[in-house]
Amino acid sequence: MYMPDFEYHTPRTLSEACALLAELGEKATVLAGGTDILHKMKVGKLAPEHLVSLKNLDEIREIRHEAGRGIVIGALTNHAAIYNSPLLQERYLSLPMAAHTMASTQICNLGTVGGNIVNGVPSADLPPILIALQATIRLVSASGERSMALEDFFCGAAETVIAPGELLTEITIPDQETTGSTYIKFGLRRSGALAVTGVAVSVCVEGDKLRDARIVLASAAPTVMRATAAEDFLRGRTISDEALAEAGTLAAAASRPRDSIRGSAEYRKNLAEVLTKRALRKAIDEGHV
Amino acid sequence: MSANYNVIGRSVPRIDGPEKVTGAAKYTGDLKFPNMLFGKILTSPHAHARIISIDTSEAEKLPGVKAVITHKDVPTLKYGLSPARWDENIFCSDKVRFVGDKVAAVACLDEDTCYKALKLIKVEFEELPAVLDFLHAMDEGQPLVHEEYERNINTEIHQEFGDVEKALAEAHHVRSDTFVGQRTYQSPIEPHSAISMWEGEKLTIYSSTQSPHYFQHYIAREFGMPMGDVRIIKPYLGGGFGGKLEPTGLEFAGAVLAKLTGRPVRTFYDRAEMFAHNRGRHAQHMEITTGVDKDGKILAVKANFIMDGGAYTSLGIASAYYAGALLPMTYEFDNYQFDMFRVYTNLPACGAQRGHGAPQPKYAFESHLDNVAADLGIDPMDIRIINARRPDTVTPNDFKVNSCKMRECLERARVISDWDEKKKNLPHGRGIGVATGSFVTGAGYPIYRTDLPHAAAFIKVHEDGTAATLYTGSVDLGQGSDTVLCQMAAEAMGYRYEQMKIVAADTEITPLDFGAYASRQTYMSGAAVKQAGEEVRKQVLDMASSMLNLPVDDLDCEDGIVFSKSREGKSLTFQEVARKHFVLKGPLLGKGAYTPPKLGGSFKGAAVGTSPAYSFGAQVGEVSIDKETGEITVVGIWDVHDCGKVINPRLLHGQVHGALYMGMGESVWEEVLFDDKGRIKNAELANYRVLTAMDMPPIQSEVVDSYEPSGPWGVKEIGEGATNPTLGMFSNAIFDAMGVRVNSLPLTYEKVWRALKEKREREAAEKA
Repeated sequence: MYMPDFEYHTPRTLSEACALLAELGEKATVLAGGTDILHKMKVGKLAPEHLVSLKNLDEIREIRHEAGRGIVIGALTNHAAIYNSPLLQERYLSLPMAAHTMASTQICNLGTVGGNIVNGVPSADLPPILIALQATIRLVSASGERSMALEDFFCGAAETVIAPGELLTEITIPDQETTGSTYIKFGLRRSGALAVTGVAVSVCVEGDKLRDARIVLASAAPTVMRATAAEDFLRGRTISDEALAEAGTLAAAASRPRDSIRGSAEYRKNLAEVLTKRALRKAIDEGHV
Repeated sequence: MSANYNVIGRSVPRIDGPEKVTGAAKYTGDLKFPNMLFGKILTSPHAHARIISIDTSEAEKLPGVKAVITHKDVPTLKYGLSPARWDENIFCSDKVRFVGDKVAAVACLDEDTCYKALKLIKVEFEELPAVLDFLHAMDEGQPLVHEEYERNINTEIHQEFGDVEKALAEAHHVRSDTFVGQRTYQSPIEPHSAISMWEGEKLTIYSSTQSPHYFQHYIAREFGMPMGDVRIIKPYLGGGFGGKLEPTGLEFAGAVLAKLTGRPVRTFYDRAEMFAHNRGRHAQHMEITTGVDKDGKILAVKANFIMDGGAYTSLGIASAYYAGALLPMTYEFDNYQFDMFRVYTNLPACGAQRGHGAPQPKYAFESHLDNVAADLGIDPMDIRIINARRPDTVTPNDFKVNSCKMRECLERARVISDWDEKKKNLPHGRGIGVATGSFVTGAGYPIYRTDLPHAAAFIKVHEDGTAATLYTGSVDLGQGSDTVLCQMAAEAMGYRYEQMKIVAADTEITPLDFGAYASRQTYMSGAAVKQAGEEVRKQVLDMASSMLNLPVDDLDCEDGIVFSKSREGKSLTFQEVARKHFVLKGPLLGKGAYTPPKLGGSFKGAAVGTSPAYSFGAQVGEVSIDKETGEITVVGIWDVHDCGKVINPRLLHGQVHGALYMGMGESVWEEVLFDDKGRIKNAELANYRVLTAMDMPPIQSEVVDSYEPSGPWGVKEIGEGATNPTLGMFSNAIFDAMGVRVNSLPLTYEKVWRALKEKREREAAEKA
C-alpha cells in the first residue's frame, strides 16, 4: 500500500500541540490512533503535508469522575480502555459494550474515542450511545476553548464543526437520571462488522411510564441523528409494546438512509424501526447495558 | 489387510505446529536476501481499454528505481493454466481487459519507491466499451474481450448421456428451477509473493504456490528454459484454496526484473491486488430440470449453465466441465444432459476455488431437489436416501465409483441431527436442511498433457538411524499434508512418526508431485510415500535377517523395532539395523511413484472429473431466522463423511471445519461486488465478509467406517468435499425455516428479509 510522504510532529503537551496546529493551519492533520487516517492515506484519499501525532498527550488519555460534572473521558482514550474501565462499566455499561462490539482487538487497542467522533462518519459506533447519554465535548485551540453538546458537532457526512487548529480534548457524560441505555448495532457478521444500521437509546423510567427517552440512529442519515419525533411521542407515555413499536415507526420515518454496499435504504429503514423498539425494550427492562 | 496400525489413524501433533504457533515459521514474504530489491506491478485502471502508449522515462529517473519493464522487455508467449486456452501475457501490449490487468513493473530499493515509480509511468489509454454482465456477454453487438473468441465464448459444452427427453416425457413429475451463484474469492490469509534470483542461467524462485511443479513447468516454458534450470522453492504457505495454483505474474515480472538488475527481487500482492488477481469462484447462472417417478426416484436431469469467466481462462475450462461432471455423483440416474457456456467478461479472471466447479451446481441441484420433494410431499431426507448412489456403480458420464457410503452418511446425519424430531417440531423461523456432496480424490489427468507420474517420494534414513527424512514435492498449505505424509511414511517403514523429518517442496531436491489441488495428496502423494516407505522397510528386514540370522519372512518391523514373529525376544531396533545398512551397503533410501490408471469415457471432456476414488458426505444444518431483520443464526451443523480410511482424525475434522467455514461464507456472507466501471467495491476484509470465529456454530463432524480399495490403506479425499453440500444445505434450511426460497447466492439477511416481506404482502393481497 502506498503511503505518501509527510512531515511528522510529536508535540509533548496540549498547548504545544495547539500552537503547532495554529501554525500549520489546514496543512496539518491530527493523528490519534490512526486507524482511519493511515488507511485513508494508504488508499490515496488523504495526503496531508504534516501529521501531528497526539501520542505524547497523556493528559487527555484518562477516564475520571468529577463531582458536579460527571464522567470525563479524555479524547485519546482507546476503545479497549473504554470497555475495560470499571468506572464506565459500573455506571454506564452500555458505552463499554458499544466499544467492545466495535472492532477487532488490534483496532480497539489503537482507535480512540476522539478519533471515532472527529472522523464524523454516520456509521461510527460511539457517538450514538454518547449522544443518548447526553455527552458534551470540549474543543481546544491556541486561541481558546469551547464546549458543546456532542449532537451539535456533526453537520454532514464526514463533516463536523471542528475548525482548523482545534483539538477535541474530552467528552463528558453528565450525571443524569436516566435509568437505562443501550446501543444495538446491526452488523453482517458477529465480529468486525460495520453497522448497517445502529440505534442507541437512553430512557428514564418512572413507574410504568417513560418520563423521557433519547433515540439516536447510526448509519441512517448523512450524520448520526436523533429521532426527535419518536422521543416526543414517548415522553410521558405508558410503556407498552405498541408504544415502543410506534416509536420505531416514527424513528424509521425520520431516518434518511441511502443505498450502500451493506444494505439498501429500504432495508436500513426497516432496521431503524426494528432496532429502535428492541433497544427501547432492552434499556427499559435491563438498565444500562 | 491388518487393522493394527501404529502410526496412521492417530491424531499425532502437527509436524509444523510449534513453528507456526510461535511465529517462527518463515513464509515467502518473510524471507530476505542480500541486495534484495522490491518489485511492484502497474495495473490497469480501466475494465477495457486500448493501450496507445507507455512512457516509463520519468519513472526510470527516480532515485532508487533499478528497472522498469513493460511488454517490450518480456517474452510475448501467451500462458495460462488450461493448455487449450493459453490467453494471458506477462504484460498487456495491445489492450487491457479488466481493472487490474498487468501493464508494467518496477524494481526499486524499497517498497515506497516502487509506489512512487508506478505513479510516474505514463500510460495513455483509449477506453473501450466493456462487457460487465456475463448474462449478456454472448449477445449480438457486445464488444469482444478477446477478438479471436466470437460472442465472448470461452468454453462451450454440450453433453448428453442416455435419453433425457424420453425420460422426462415418461416422468411422473417434471420441475425446472433457476438459481444464480455469486463471485467469491478464496481470501487466503497469506498474500501471494515471489522472490526471484538468478545465478548465471539458472533461475530460482521462492514462491507461495500450491504446485511447485506446475510453476516450474510454466516458468520454464515461458522463458524457453530447460526445467532443470528453474528451481522453485515453496516455504511455508498460508492457505491457497485454489488461488495459488498457477503463475500469478509476480514470478514472471520478478524473474525479468531480477535478470535485468542482477539482484534478487521480491514481488508481492497486497490484499486489494489479491482480489484483482482473483482466480476465485465463477458467478454462474444455473437452470435445472429434473424428472422423477411417483416415489421421487430421479429419472433424468438437465443442467443448463452459464459461467462468468472474467477476462482470462485460468483453470476455468476445468471449472466449467467440473460444474456438470460432478452433478451426478451423489444420486443415481441414467439420463443426464449438461450444457454450459463459460463466457469472457471484462472482470477479474475466475478459476478453481475449494470444491472446484461443484459447490454452486450442488447448491442449485440440492435446492431444486427440495422443491421437487415439496411438490411430491416427500421428506427431503427420504428423497435423498431413495436416490443415494451405491458402491461399485458407474455414473452416466462414465466415472467409476468404488467405495461409496452415501446412504450411510445420510442415515447417520439423520440420527445425530435429530432430523425427524426437528422436522416435526421446529417452530416457524427455525429450519433444518440437508444436502449431499462428493468430490474427486485427485484428478485422473494432469493439467497439462504429460505421461509423468502424478506423485513421487524419496525417504532417506539418516546414517545413524535416528531420523528419516521424507522428500516430497507435495504442498502443505495448512491442511496438514506434511504431517499425514510423515505418518504414512513411518507406518510403511515400521518407524516412529516422532523421528520423521520432511522436506517439501523444492524442485531441485524433492521429487515430482503435482501439488495441492483436487484433494489429491493423501491418496496420490500418499501412494508414492507408502511405496517409498515399503522399500525402506524391505531393506531393513533384509539387513536384520542377516544380523539375526533368521529368514526374512519371519521378521516384521513396527514402531521402530524389528522383531521375529516366531521367536519372542529376538529383536533389533530399526536404528541399529539402519546404521548397519549404511555401514555395509551405503545410504538407506526408498523411493516411490504414483500414476493413476486410465480412467473415464471417450466423449469430449470425459477426463474432467475422473478420479481413482470419490468422497461422499451429507450435511445437515439448523438455522434460526430473525423474521424482522432476516438475520440468520446457525444453530448447529452435522457433517457425516465417507472419506475412506482416516490417517489423522484431528486433521480430518479440521478439514471438515475449514471447508464448512468457507462454504458458510459463500452461502450467506461473501460476495465480490463491482461498480459500473468494473472496479471491485469491496477488495478488503471489512466489506468482503469472511466469517470470524464468533460466527462459527457448534459443528459435529463424523465419518462412517469406509475403505477405498484402490487407495493406500484405503484413503480418500476430505479437503474439498465438505464445501460442496454447504451452500445447498443453507438454502434448504432457510427454505424450511420460512417457507420461501431465495434463488440467488449469497442468501443474505436482506434477501431473506425481502423474501419474507414479499411473502407477507402476497398473503395479505390474497386475503383482501
